[in-house]
Amino acid sequence: MNEMQFGNRIRHILNSAPALPADQAGRLAAARAQALQRQRPELAPALAWADNVLGSLGGWGGVSLRVMAPAIALIVSLAAIYTWQQNQRAAEVEELDAMLLTDELPIDAYLDRGFQNWLKKRLAEE
Amino acid sequence: MMVTSAAQQLQEASEGTHLASRSELEAFLKGVERRAFKQAMFAVRDEEAALDIVQDAMLRLAEKYGHRPAAELPLLFHRIVQNAVRDWFRRQKVRSLWTTLLSSLSGGSDDEDRDPLDTLEAAGPPNVHGAPAEQFEQSQVLEIIEQELARLPERQRQAFIMRYWEELDVAETAKVMGCSEGSVKTHCSRATHALALALKARGITL
Repeated sequence: MNEMQFGNRIRHILNSAPALPADQAGRLAAARAQALQRQRPELAPALAWADNVLGSLGGWGGVSLRVMAPAIALIVSLAAIYTWQQNQRAAEVEELDAMLLTDELPIDAYLDRGFQNWLKKRLAEE
Repeated sequence: MMVTSAAQQLQEASEGTHLASRSELEAFLKGVERRAFKQAMFAVRDEEAALDIVQDAMLRLAEKYGHRPAAELPLLFHRIVQNAVRDWFRRQKVRSLWTTLLSSLSGGSDDEDRDPLDTLEAAGPPNVHGAPAEQFEQSQVLEIIEQELARLPERQRQAFIMRYWEELDVAETAKVMGCSEGSVKTHCSRATHALALALKARGITL
């Protein structure tokens, strides 16, 4: 008798066993009923298909890892770049203001385009 | 390419691998519950614990995978049962560790000579050698087979039961057990030999 035949013979004997005692069968039936109550309600076909596709991607966990994580990383880096740019602009304006306020300048100097150009040039050199 | 695969999935979802309905899940659970209970019994050797394990596995299957395609239910269920059995052993280990610690702290001297293995030995059946097969009724043969299955090493028993009682193929069994197909074949072969020898020693020829 080879392994397969032996296994089949064992299965035949195990399956010919009488039904379980009433208390055990009762507990299993109760467990089954409880499980069926907890089954998720039937999904609409489109949703079911989406769920299936989702499942093939690795479930909600897989999606959150594959889609949400890069998306969050992108949003965080964009926010960081925007904040840094804003800070840079504020710093430039601040510096310009400081230079103007510390120097003794006639009020007309603010309206002189040549002075503004000189200021920018000086800033660039620094 | 993407469109083709999406279309295939849609077709499969709507035709081939249709999702399990309530009645299909019920029929599946009804068909598998006795075998699952017996398997849990072989592993944990405690009726209450085995019933709890099957109940937990049923709940988990219905809650998490209740609407997976009907064809996937057996693999998922057996995997859940195996995990539940493993969790039970893990919990027992933690519990026995605490019991040992507490009993050593309380210094119970009467328990010093008690060996947990004694109970395991006592739970085993008397070994009957050389009795002719004809003398055994079908129920006795069944009982002996169940006893010898319970005595097999854990992995060997799992592999043998999945392959020959649950009728899963080698690849499916490997998936359930989380090992390679080669390991499944080895476990099965060893289990078959051990079981055949043990049955022969108890006077049973199949």
